[in-house]
Amino acid sequence: MENTVVSLSNELAKLVERFQPDVVAVHARPHYPSSGVLWRPDIIVTADHTVRREEDIQVTLSDGRTVSAALVGRDSRTDVTVLKVKGLGSPTTSAARAGVSDPARAGELALVLGRSPDSGPNASLGIISAVSGPWRTWRGGRLDSYIRLDATLFPNSSGGMVVDCRGQILGIATSGLSRIAGLAIPASSVNRVVDGLLEKGYLPRGYFGIGVQPVVIPEALREKLSVPGQNGVIVVSVEPGGPAERAGVLLGDILVGLDDASLEGIEDLRSFSDSGVIGKLVKARIIRAGAIAEVGITVGERPGR
Amino acid sequence: MSFAGFGAVAEQLRRSTVQVKNGRRGLGSGIIVKSDGLVATNAHVVAPGAAPVTNGSRLSVELWDGSSFPARLKVRNTRRDLALLRIPTMNLTPATLANSDELRVGELVVAVGNPLGFMGAVTTGVVHAIGRRPGLGPTKWIHADVQLAPGNSGGPLADARGNVVGVNTMVVGGLGLAVPSNAVKRLLAGDLQQASLGVAVRAVEVRTSGAERLGLAVLDVVAGSAAEFASLRAGDILVGIEGQDLHSLDDLEGALEGTEERLLRLQFVRGDPNKVRSVAIRLHCPQVAAA
Repeated sequence: MENTVVSLSNELAKLVERFQPDVVAVHARPHYPSSGVLWRPDIIVTADHTVRREEDIQVTLSDGRTVSAALVGRDSRTDVTVLKVKGLGSPTTSAARAGVSDPARAGELALVLGRSPDSGPNASLGIISAVSGPWRTWRGGRLDSYIRLDATLFPNSSGGMVVDCRGQILGIATSGLSRIAGLAIPASSVNRVVDGLLEKGYLPRGYFGIGVQPVVIPEALREKLSVPGQNGVIVVSVEPGGPAERAGVLLGDILVGLDDASLEGIEDLRSFSDSGVIGKLVKARIIRAGAIAEVGITVGERPGR
Repeated sequence: MSFAGFGAVAEQLRRSTVQVKNGRRGLGSGIIVKSDGLVATNAHVVAPGAAPVTNGSRLSVELWDGSSFPARLKVRNTRRDLALLRIPTMNLTPATLANSDELRVGELVVAVGNPLGFMGAVTTGVVHAIGRRPGLGPTKWIHADVQLAPGNSGGPLADARGNVVGVNTMVVGGLGLAVPSNAVKRLLAGDLQQASLGVAVRAVEVRTSGAERLGLAVLDVVAGSAAEFASLRAGDILVGIEGQDLHSLDDLEGALEGTEERLLRLQFVRGDPNKVRSVAIRLHCPQVAAA
């Protein structure tokens, strides 16, 4: 009785067979392991929130061997940790990985592949329940797209591979970035973080060197200075020698705009903590002594990560 | 695109799924494996807790069409948590048992059962993993990502063709665990029958010759059993089988498997923990429970 269900079932099992050699179990926390993906030659990617120790990390490979892995670096903001196992070789499905061309579409089927040292490869199936553009995680990292899964993520699923029904690797599964659903950390974001971690061991972050607190700007002042937003952030500390101090920012200044965007809360400062803006000159609009002033701050690199 | 879905498969599977009852109380589900009235289910379904359901109880099987038959326990294997029941009827629709060794991770599966007393409920999902489960011994399980509930126990887990790949047995960490169908085949072939030793045991830690090891303390010896015949007593602590140390209850249950009459040598301590004694027990064919 060959029917649609049987052929779908076969296709799903084939996808698991094809991709599971690149999925490993990661032993980096007590009690139960998580999963990881052989992403590049000798390089394994896993979900950062499943890594609870930085030494004595092991991975169990598809051939059943358990080998030691070195920590290359971790980025809690995007929930990505990169491990290295010398002599592991290239992923068998690297061609597929390079070809993540079609964007994920809500409603399509996706498999979450993991590995357990006890029972070998494992799989969960669900649909992609939501897809949208770039977003910032609650941990502060920026991801290229929001891909929500309705597949059940079990305790060892995080760090596993998310594959869509067309055989594209969508990214890395994580239950650590949302309370309501498992997400895929998009492959393009994973690539960016892997590049950064391989280069420096950490992801550099942009830095102004100020402490701020949101404040409401009085109505009269707002009208007088024609400030568009109702809120700003007041500078409550200035790091000695930091980029803001060098630019002449003073305690008590109220930031109301950065470059051409208005600044109404701490959220609006977040995009200036990404690594891409380091070295950039940012025009800051501030209220000082009842008047608008403009200061140019050169974004620095946050010290002592 | 026409998409038949699981409807036909589920309907076919329902014909071969039964409810196992004790009196009016539903115990779980079962699978018709032979048209002449042989039903497979979980051992724990016919013997909840420690009290075994004897042939004198009101064990019955209700079919999908509502007809009900008294059932007799034919075979039980506690190690694989399987049992076979016999009901006095013919011309049933048996389920087809698949070769569970060919099942692959990712395949679609469908479970039919009577969860929480709801008859013939269907759930679908995928095979999450196939293999051991930490804490559940060395045996192989099918881990299915399907929603199961009490009452699914003993019912079928089938592949996309509707062939039974496993017997739904328990839910652990959100996953349904099923005993592979090949174990049912072995049970039908008589390979998994267990000889009866006639002891109730519990696991204890014992210190013999200065080393901690697992022991099985004998709590009770059944009158007239093989254990009584070999003079085992309550209070004895079993520590080995055929000279091998015990590592789990599973070791003992495994040693009892087989149909031939044979001698089993058990090592145990009585009183002095440093003095390991040995006893040879004659195991009988497990025909006691058969019709």
